[in-house]
Amino acid sequence: MNNFSTVDEILDFAMDAEQKAVDFYIDLGEKMKNEEMKSVFIEFAQEEVKHKARLMKIKEERIFEMSAEKIADLKISDYVDTIQITPEMSYQTALIVAMNREKAAFKLYTRLSAKTDLPGLKDMFLSLAQEESKHKLRFEIEYDEYILREN
Amino acid sequence: MFDDVKYLKFKSYLNTYCPHCRNSFNVERKDQKYLVYKAIYKEQEIELKLSPFLDVFEVESSVPIDINDKLTDLLCPKCKKSLIVEEPVCGECGSPVAEMIITAFSKLIPFFICLNHGCTWHGLTKADQNKIKLKIPRQEMPEQDMKLRAANHTEVPYGYTTELAQLEAGRCLQCKEPKCVKGCPVNIDIPTFIRLITEEKIDEAAKKIKERNVLPAVCGRVCPQESQCEALCILGLRDKPVGIGNLERFVADFERKMDLVKVPIISNKLNKKIAVVGSGPSGLTVAADLVQLGYSVTIFEALHESGGVLVYGIPEFRLPKSIVSFEVDYLKKMGVRVEMNHVIGKTITIDELLQHFNAVFIGVGAGLPVFMNIPGETLGNVFSANEYLTRMNLMKAYKFPEYDTPKPRGNRVVVIGGGNVAMDSARTAIRTGAAEVTIVYRRSRQELPARHEEVRHAEEEGVKFMLLTSPVRYLGTDQAMLKGMECIRMQLGAPDSSGRRRPVPIENSNFIINCDIAVVAIGNSSNPIIFQSAQDIKRNKWGYIEVNPETNETSKEFVYSGGDIVTGSATVIQAMGAGRIAANAMHNKLSAT
Repeated sequence: MNNFSTVDEILDFAMDAEQKAVDFYIDLGEKMKNEEMKSVFIEFAQEEVKHKARLMKIKEERIFEMSAEKIADLKISDYVDTIQITPEMSYQTALIVAMNREKAAFKLYTRLSAKTDLPGLKDMFLSLAQEESKHKLRFEIEYDEYILREN
Repeated sequence: MFDDVKYLKFKSYLNTYCPHCRNSFNVERKDQKYLVYKAIYKEQEIELKLSPFLDVFEVESSVPIDINDKLTDLLCPKCKKSLIVEEPVCGECGSPVAEMIITAFSKLIPFFICLNHGCTWHGLTKADQNKIKLKIPRQEMPEQDMKLRAANHTEVPYGYTTELAQLEAGRCLQCKEPKCVKGCPVNIDIPTFIRLITEEKIDEAAKKIKERNVLPAVCGRVCPQESQCEALCILGLRDKPVGIGNLERFVADFERKMDLVKVPIISNKLNKKIAVVGSGPSGLTVAADLVQLGYSVTIFEALHESGGVLVYGIPEFRLPKSIVSFEVDYLKKMGVRVEMNHVIGKTITIDELLQHFNAVFIGVGAGLPVFMNIPGETLGNVFSANEYLTRMNLMKAYKFPEYDTPKPRGNRVVVIGGGNVAMDSARTAIRTGAAEVTIVYRRSRQELPARHEEVRHAEEEGVKFMLLTSPVRYLGTDQAMLKGMECIRMQLGAPDSSGRRRPVPIENSNFIINCDIAVVAIGNSSNPIIFQSAQDIKRNKWGYIEVNPETNETSKEFVYSGGDIVTGSATVIQAMGAGRIAANAMHNKLSAT
């Protein structure tokens, strides 16, 4: 795991992670058999592009706000079984892929924040973790609303 | 004495009560067949005798009363208080009326008698009638005893008798701008059909409903009227709304039982052919509408019995199969062909259908079960509700070995989900001898998506509810058969931006439920089979078909669609509404070509 000494290093790392997510979704989209799922993954990739742009703005303006807002965690991704990525994935599986990626990112930033004592860096990691938990919540709400509709 | 006899055409009610003392002033001796009132006429106390005779009250008075003379008072024989009320007044002559309480069909209802002896119609003004209507309680359908019905597959409600139907129909205020019609996805003329019931013209009421709805017996049973037409009924603001669904069911059943159904003769035959894929509510509506316009219609059904979700999904005790087959037979008599065991997408493709038919309607429903994707779902005896209900219900596993389908072995059944399908699964399990049936639902009772009536029936029949609980994995035996389910307790979080409180697991609250059958009833999605050979039909990310909402035409010309395959799981009547839009658009387009 990388050792970070400045906020810029963290932001570069986070932007790189977002770019990897963009590439991942575009690659996944290309593998899909049907057009609807292709566009689902392109939509996910576009969301990651927006996340990256937000980080870039923070880096340029050197302003970020630590929100006191507590992000709900529905913990849906904690209980779903591992899934196989195939060219015939359903939207339900796509949501699980997305929830798991956001959860992994959230966990990574939370771990990194615990490892540093420098206040500026800690806040940045926590802020990134909070951002990732927001992204996860967006997918969890969709899963809760449509997949677990009668549950 | 009693030399002046007058016959008044009232409906006969045998028990009468005073509105003040609530004492019955019925006949005191059992062999007496009349009621005696004290009345004041020309400042003199006289006696009036009312004898119920069939549906007529025979009124006699102890002194001759001149026609158009008014009684000045009518007294309760027990408490001697005056029965005259200031409002309302007789709608015919404006005279004062006396109020009594009568019993009709086990309910206490105010009843008014005009004090003008010459008034032949003892009715009230419309406003006064409405005041009375507000006092009539909603009539519920008689039901099978809860213990008896838990051991049989016969339908639970018996339906209204004619008397109950007329009493319930009498509650309708006949609004000039009825909101209920707007609440109905196919805009049935509800006030008119209800009025026709009050006028005892049940056959005409049936015709009125069928102008807009070809499956009234089905909709009367399974449509959630409480969130559609009845939700907008003005009576619901003060009391319970008119039982529109129950009345619709009564009319349809009456028509069927009395053999009043007339198959229309279709003289105008067109040389155009329509293929309908799926024989559920939307497909049947398209077939009915287009065959009457002269099209040659063929329905293709994947299963061995027609009716779609109505026969494989909804159990016999909620919707008898005979009712669905009666409706399908009606279409067949009109000339619709029904081809069973045809899986479109496998047996024949949509493109192949288009070579032989002028247009195709896809109404295949949303038949692919959704699972939670938690560990252990592949264990034996973990079923989707679709499979469980199809086995038990359509394939009659409960009659094994009379029927070939074996019944899943197990006594402790858990059903995951809180919708109507979950209730159907749980109630089916009870009826097929399960010792313990539990519904496991992630949210609280308030959020249960099933109809209240279904939840009540399930509870009465012995189904237990484990609310705010979610399964996290299934546990299996060495033979990979289900033996239990690990669950976690849930709590509702703070309302989010949409205002909904979403369930969140409570950490370290896990526990095990011992069970040997699990039925997953959390919802359905679209079945991809049909699209494997029809990639050019555009779908959304959920897999549902995208249509032009004005016409219900898909991205493929001459291919239309409607019902659950477009909207996701919805109601029978919404599917029928979608079918009607498509049928109209198909007719318009094919008429122009």
